[in-house]
Amino acid sequence: MKKWLKFLLMAGGVGLIAGLALLYWIFNKPHRDVSKEKGIQLSAQQLFEAFRKDEAVANGLYLDKAIELSGTVADVSTNQEGQKVVNFSTDDPFFTINCTFKTDPGNLQPGDSIVFKGICTGYIPDASIVINEGVLVK
Amino acid sequence: MKYSLTICLTAFALCCFNPMKAQKTFGTRNGQIIFQSPTDLDVKAINNEVSSRLSDNGSLSFSLLIKSFRFKMAEMQDHFNTEYLHSNQYPRGDFKGTIANIKTVNFKMDGNYPVEVTGDLTLHGVTKKVSTKGSVTIKNGKPLANASFPITVKDFGIKAEDVTKKVTITVNCQYQ
Repeated sequence: MKKWLKFLLMAGGVGLIAGLALLYWIFNKPHRDVSKEKGIQLSAQQLFEAFRKDEAVANGLYLDKAIELSGTVADVSTNQEGQKVVNFSTDDPFFTINCTFKTDPGNLQPGDSIVFKGICTGYIPDASIVINEGVLVK
Repeated sequence: MKYSLTICLTAFALCCFNPMKAQKTFGTRNGQIIFQSPTDLDVKAINNEVSSRLSDNGSLSFSLLIKSFRFKMAEMQDHFNTEYLHSNQYPRGDFKGTIANIKTVNFKMDGNYPVEVTGDLTLHGVTKKVSTKGSVTIKNGKPLANASFPITVKDFGIKAEDVTKKVTITVNCQYQ
């Protein structure tokens, strides 16, 4: 076999393997696992006050970050995909921190004091701050 | 005595016949909205943290966070946020509109009521008028809103033609 043909075949083979590896990585890249991340420790009220004061600044500090939130459970529900959701109270009766669990936290009741860790996805004025993909810390 | 009786009767009449009766508003912080490409079923994102209000006078609003959308593939989710929707710059999407035929919905009677919705959809910092047909289902006094309509991503300044030209938005919100 000619030298140039051999080189071409080898280069093609390496390219093919690299392409397949890239595709495999794209299709199988794992989602963030917040349980392995160190969260920013805050109370529900502190997080609410930060967004109420200045949304842009709070976004810079907390958006897309792992947040370890402590507070009192206002209510417990299940979303339309069957995931458990808790709302944390704030001093505004119409505003809550809306937290969705990735894994079932077990039996939770309104009034329970818990620590929840999840990813902050932002602030919806007059409604909620959303944290999802969460786990129960304690 | 006669004067007090007149006041009482007037107040009673106003309560009974006042056309400005108090409106009832239903809400949820965990409604569901799905974005899906009609040409590639893998391009599908689900948001289960939609905040929405529906009033029996026909006003309807939705607010959602772009970063709350979840894809099956993490890489696709990253591209959605950073390259297409630019969620750091435009963190929210909103809809504010009305149900034109709200009088056909009987909030006190279980049933499925077809509705026509018109309003302003804001996505990626661009606001466009949208209209769609959908339904409001009343069960045990609580409404469930369903609708599905296409948008052209280019209309909202989203450069995603390499992935999809249109996105079907499906709304599925159970109110409390």
